[in-house]
Amino acid sequence: MAVTIALPSKGRLKEQAIAVFENAGYSIRQPEDARQYRASVDGHDGIEIAFLSASEIARELGAGTVDMGVTGEDLVRETLAAWDEKVEISARLGFGHADVIVAVPEVWFDVNTMADLNDVAAEFRMGHGRRLRIATKYWRLTQQFFSRAHGIQVYRIVESLGATEGAPAAGSADVIVDITSTGSTLRANHLKILDDGVILKSQACLVTGKGVLAGAEAALAREIVGRIGDSLR
Amino acid sequence: MTPRFPSSARDILALFERRGAEAVDVPVIQPADPFLDMAGEDLRRRIFLTESETGESLCLRPEFTIPVCRMHIEAAEAGHRRYAYLGEVFRQRREGGNEFFQAGIEDLGDTDINSADARSLADALALVTMLMPAQALTVSMGDQAVFEAVLASLGLPRGWQQRLARAFGAPDQMAAALEALSSGSGQKTELDDAIAALVARDDRAELEARIAARMTETGISPSAGRSPAEIAGRLIDKARLASVRLAPEAIAALQDFLSISAPLADASSTLQGFAARAGLKIDAALAAFDARVAAIANAGLDLGFIRYDAAFGRPLDYYTGLVFELHAPGQERPVAGGGRYDRLLTLLGAPAPISGVGFSVWLDRTEQAREI
Repeated sequence: MAVTIALPSKGRLKEQAIAVFENAGYSIRQPEDARQYRASVDGHDGIEIAFLSASEIARELGAGTVDMGVTGEDLVRETLAAWDEKVEISARLGFGHADVIVAVPEVWFDVNTMADLNDVAAEFRMGHGRRLRIATKYWRLTQQFFSRAHGIQVYRIVESLGATEGAPAAGSADVIVDITSTGSTLRANHLKILDDGVILKSQACLVTGKGVLAGAEAALAREIVGRIGDSLR
Repeated sequence: MTPRFPSSARDILALFERRGAEAVDVPVIQPADPFLDMAGEDLRRRIFLTESETGESLCLRPEFTIPVCRMHIEAAEAGHRRYAYLGEVFRQRREGGNEFFQAGIEDLGDTDINSADARSLADALALVTMLMPAQALTVSMGDQAVFEAVLASLGLPRGWQQRLARAFGAPDQMAAALEALSSGSGQKTELDDAIAALVARDDRAELEARIAARMTETGISPSAGRSPAEIAGRLIDKARLASVRLAPEAIAALQDFLSISAPLADASSTLQGFAARAGLKIDAALAAFDARVAAIANAGLDLGFIRYDAAFGRPLDYYTGLVFELHAPGQERPVAGGGRYDRLLTLLGAPAPISGVGFSVWLDRTEQAREI
């Protein structure tokens, strides 16, 4: 038996995640072969590290195939239905900051708030005979925010698999829901964030599956959470 | 009739025939877009979606009204038709199973709105009474048109009327909308000086030209989505209202109205009392309301167990008048629901407006209630 921890498999997120574990006293011995996706932790035989892509980590945590992981809160909330029944956010790690936001073309001078967008969506459907289109890869977060938090019903989600911020100019959508960290990409695309259009302030998190917390390895999982929590103080 | 159908199926079809409604067959597999277009994106997670080989979005029939209306439009039916249906609908639900039976009648194209409303209510009651003979049913009734008349007679700006009308039937949204309009939150608009000056001068033509030019500069098509005219028009409307607040008297009147609940026999006098108290002229809407009550009484229904609830509505923009629900004792959810949807057929693509009213009975609930 071991606790399996999934970490991002590449880039800055990988480095920062490894650094968090180092600071907490878990020195990750990386495989010599960079194509190898498993690693171990010096002096902690009970911990296994798996390197996965960030979106896979959320999914695998939900399925229970890994016990803990480092991934964005946005991906946890987007990937998993009823996420808080399956996993818990054990620590916010202070990197990987990104806001999930609602943005409209700058030239929509009359639109600053979700209430404005609600009015516009209703008028648009009546006037144009079709629904206002929202480009996003965040289906679940968008539906929750628009339909449940703001009571906006008449819109249509257009799936966007990349370069969401270009959708209004490309004519494939009217509004976007996307992540931004500095806002510069939005400005370059002449989009503005609505005043109350921040859906989620996300960052990288240590996420723990509820399964491991109820199982034989619960003590070890809690120890890892505790040490990482202490090292962040 | 396969054994899958409820045991009451024969009786239901016989009742349809007695009441002069023609039974129609509606395919189980339906294009998904009309449902999503009418009910909104939130429906997506509650229906069973799939895709055709060519990429068309398809779903298992989540209800009957929209397919029946689309059949009516496609057949280019003129005049008055009453379509009856009995079959399964499919929805993703956390409780109560994913497939269950519904039966109902959609009454399309009758220009005598009051008698069509009364007949729909009578049909629904007859069907449910047949299915649950020993139960003391109650009916709740609402009216979108009365609420809209109240909004209009309060002299509210059109945009505000629409915002409140959209929240009708959704108490949380109604409270949020009233709060926003009375506090003025979200009404201020930050604009650059040139645009602000044009708005202040009410120079719509120049404003539209500026917006169009700005769209071209920023790569937004002026014709694919919102047009410069729409943006300019709403910007000017919004600026006019920036310093206006929903008056306390108007809020009091709306809250007074929304709290009205009375047996249908007393509803007219209660509404008249409200109008007098609030100093509102809603005579035309009240006359229409009275005419419907008279039609319901003429249809032989007992007004004593029908209750009018002023706040009862459905936050879907195609409902235009009557809404009703039938309740069985001890059941939290209604056993049948219906209403008038005069805007639906146009939204579904009918070239000219076609009036419509209909109801649907949840046969899983009537069966369940019988077992209690």
